Amino acid sequence: MAGAPADSSGELHERVGRTIFMHRTSVAADEQIVGFPGLVEAYGFIPNLFLLQKELPRAVEGEQALIRAIAVRECRLSRQLKDSLFRTVASALHSDYCRALHTSPHPKDGEGDPVLLAFAHKLAKRGPWICKHDVVGLRAAGFDDSVILETVLAVALGQMLCTLANALRPDLDEGLPAPVSIGPSGLTETVDWVETCGPYLQPCPPLPPNSRPHAFFEEQFGFVPKLFQDQMLRPDAVEAESQALAQILIPEDQLSRIVKENIVLLISAANLNTYFVAVHSQILATLGVPLEDTNQIVEDHRRAAISPGEVALFDEIRKLACFPVTSEARFESARLREHGFSEPQILEALAMAAMTNFLNTIQAGLGSVPDFPPRRVFTRKDLYPSLGPSRLISDATSREDPDAAFVVLVQGGNADAFEELVRRHSRRVFGTLAGLLGNLEDARDLTQDVFLKAFENIGRFQGRSKFSTWLISIAINTGTELLRQRKPCESLDQSGADEEFRPRQIQSWADNPEQVLGASQRSQLVREGVLRLPEKYRVVVLLRDINQLSTEEVAAALELSIPAVKARLLRGRLMLRESLAPYFVAEEKRSPDAQLR
Amino acid sequence: MLSCAEFLAEFGDYLEEAASPEVRARLEEHLHECKTCRIIVDSTRKTIRFVTDCDSFTLTAEQVEPIVKDVMTRIREKKN
Repeated sequence: MAGAPADSSGELHERVGRTIFMHRTSVAADEQIVGFPGLVEAYGFIPNLFLLQKELPRAVEGEQALIRAIAVRECRLSRQLKDSLFRTVASALHSDYCRALHTSPHPKDGEGDPVLLAFAHKLAKRGPWICKHDVVGLRAAGFDDSVILETVLAVALGQMLCTLANALRPDLDEGLPAPVSIGPSGLTETVDWVETCGPYLQPCPPLPPNSRPHAFFEEQFGFVPKLFQDQMLRPDAVEAESQALAQILIPEDQLSRIVKENIVLLISAANLNTYFVAVHSQILATLGVPLEDTNQIVEDHRRAAISPGEVALFDEIRKLACFPVTSEARFESARLREHGFSEPQILEALAMAAMTNFLNTIQAGLGSVPDFPPRRVFTRKDLYPSLGPSRLISDATSREDPDAAFVVLVQGGNADAFEELVRRHSRRVFGTLAGLLGNLEDARDLTQDVFLKAFENIGRFQGRSKFSTWLISIAINTGTELLRQRKPCESLDQSGADEEFRPRQIQSWADNPEQVLGASQRSQLVREGVLRLPEKYRVVVLLRDINQLSTEEVAAALELSIPAVKARLLRGRLMLRESLAPYFVAEEKRSPDAQLR
Repeated sequence: MLSCAEFLAEFGDYLEEAASPEVRARLEEHLHECKTCRIIVDSTRKTIRFVTDCDSFTLTAEQVEPIVKDVMTRIREKKN
């Protein structure tokens, strides 16, 4: 490890107002330290994370500018609290290295305010879920806009450092204690996606037209993105961000600007960041990149008209998106070397990815509104790919009921607290009823009835299931009651065996059936298909596939066994497939080409 | 090797990527040999994708607030 002589740290201590970690400052100064005084200021030495990037010093300069403005400079948050935030982010993102790097030299230091830490944890791990209510909650806890902005910036910086650490995998720096997990177990998080419009903070004074960042953004982007305008309570941070972009995004001595803009696009799309996809699609257009090429990178870069080397680069870089953090795919630089990328080029791609995560996180925390009408708007649907283990609603972290605090308030007589529960769950209740009844007006009316019943009976809710599950079971009972009145012969409780179902349509579907029919026609077909399903299959498909409940939650809401839910779900899906097949069979496969054996 | 009927009885967990490694291996062995079941798996996955992406049964953000307001008005009226 390289490090500064201990005798230099006393002066620094005075200057930055924090305790320099004396135990880390034993190695003589070398050219790296001379080059990066901001890192010594921050850490008391040059951490391995940055030494590993020494072949691209300008990237380290950009990172250093951000660290100085956000980590070192104390405005409203103490360095101790910021270290706490960095550790929270590192825990959320499973970076042992960053947790150790920000370990307090004083073991008795507290972890900081739990409300801020819970917000930081959610922003780091579930950025797309952050909404206005989270920021309102921080204000209600007594934090003003300056503190909220500094918290968002610290989380974003933590996100950037973790991205670099998870890709470069540096050895722990000598003298640092082995990381002790602080884990997220004590922190609660809401997993609902609530769409609210930003920006979340009060308007700031504009970026002065004669300032350096203003000139930079005008020259490089042709405008000043709102993201930076929204941070003007901390103009020094905006300046540092423009310096970092100037060092990482703009130079073309390694990767081209277009490749780096594509990295921004790719990572932002993976992070479901509507803002950055809109803004950088526009910037790519001004750089002469056709819209269809940009869209293809957003949707699936593997199908884009790019070289095999770029496909490999984007494959690896996409693993560094901050969402989902549960991904176990590791960035592999060896694959890029095989494709002829040099060390500085790989480092630049990493720095660009880390910077994108940094900026995406700021946008998620501040709710900045796109400067251009977005062509691709990410919604909660994008959170739930149709298959696979990434359905976050069944993530272990959601087992703790995110509504519990509001439920307790309502049970204690605070009727106003029920408003938040209605806001969070009205879509799901409506969706369930609309699918069950097939009539949107009825569904809208009954949605209100369901919430009134829930309010009247909330005293009986004992928390044995999640509140949302309990609410859905009320919705299903209310909906089926109405159906019974109209069609008394069909029963949801039919427990008859789910007899074997043999698919009849056995022709290959088109590779891209989305291109066969437009979204509204597909929705119409799906709606008709779902409504034609027998009720016992329909309700399971509605809850599992449309409302995104986990199998366990569906079983609890319907009081069915898990095997029964699975059997009905499969049968419902296969029946739907039969009804959709005539529309999506590949043109060349209009005659049967296979048979069941 | 599994018959198609056995495959179809088991492949629900496979679609959800929740099948055990042993079951998964048996199912994939069948899939390797059986074009019919490959077609069924592919088209069922596409069906699920359509259903998951379907906006037929949802409310927009603008439609949520009037419901919140109506429910809370009714609750407050009842309380008073």
